[in-house]
Amino acid sequence: MATEEEITYDRSQLGVEHHIGTFPITRDMILDFAKSTSETNPLYCDEAAAAASEYGSLIAPPTLCNIFVDGLKRPDIKLTFGDVGLFASQAIENVSPIRPGDTLEAKTYLKEVYEKTGRSGKMVFVVWETRFTNQHGDTAVFVRDSFVRRNNPKK
Amino acid sequence: MNEPLYYEDADIGDEIDAIERTVSLEQVRTFLAIRGDVREPSRFTDIAHAKSEGLPYAIVPGALNSAMLAQLLTSWSPTVYLKKFEVSFRRPVPHNTELELKGVITAKHVMDDEPQCDG
Repeated sequence: MATEEEITYDRSQLGVEHHIGTFPITRDMILDFAKSTSETNPLYCDEAAAAASEYGSLIAPPTLCNIFVDGLKRPDIKLTFGDVGLFASQAIENVSPIRPGDTLEAKTYLKEVYEKTGRSGKMVFVVWETRFTNQHGDTAVFVRDSFVRRNNPKK
Repeated sequence: MNEPLYYEDADIGDEIDAIERTVSLEQVRTFLAIRGDVREPSRFTDIAHAKSEGLPYAIVPGALNSAMLAQLLTSWSPTVYLKKFEVSFRRPVPHNTELELKGVITAKHVMDDEPQCDG
């Protein structure tokens, strides 16, 4: 454990890669994602049109992997600050298309922890980077997520 | 879906065609169910639970907001491939609220023989 500017967390987690899951990609998953996000691009929601495209089949919308990284199975870094957590920011880099039938493996590591003070008071940001690879070992997507912790103003 | 656009068609300062979205509770539930492991009550589906966490209302998941913002670009033209995407969440988004998503081209460049636009 380390203390830095009143932030206490398990610093030994910095840079340590963790396997956080195996995610089979299904046709229904892609179509449900498209439906729930009001997707209109036929590559992601129209099987016939997608089959006739250069991809030859449905492919996943570019942010599909978000559903796997949003608060899922990350190691507890024992951050002592704050009682409310929210998504703060995100960056996604798509490297290769994701298709129905693919199986993605995700590995994540803690990139950094830092604090800021805003209008609502002190906030602590926790940044994770995650890499998804497919069953061929090819990188499909990189995701960097930043989560903010703050104190509940209602308490 | 709009007509195909090519690198030469886009100039810095061009506005990306705006899209409108309104997210219902049903859409939020469908979205959350994709992954499975649905946790109820949650800040995304239950007003009382959201308020217990200091939020003013049940909110649209950030990942769903990201997906809609990505659509601003991928629905602009069938020739657009979204390579990198960054989003900052500035405030919670409530259900059943009309959202207008819009953007502008801020840079053009060729990297590794690949024409790219920033927006």
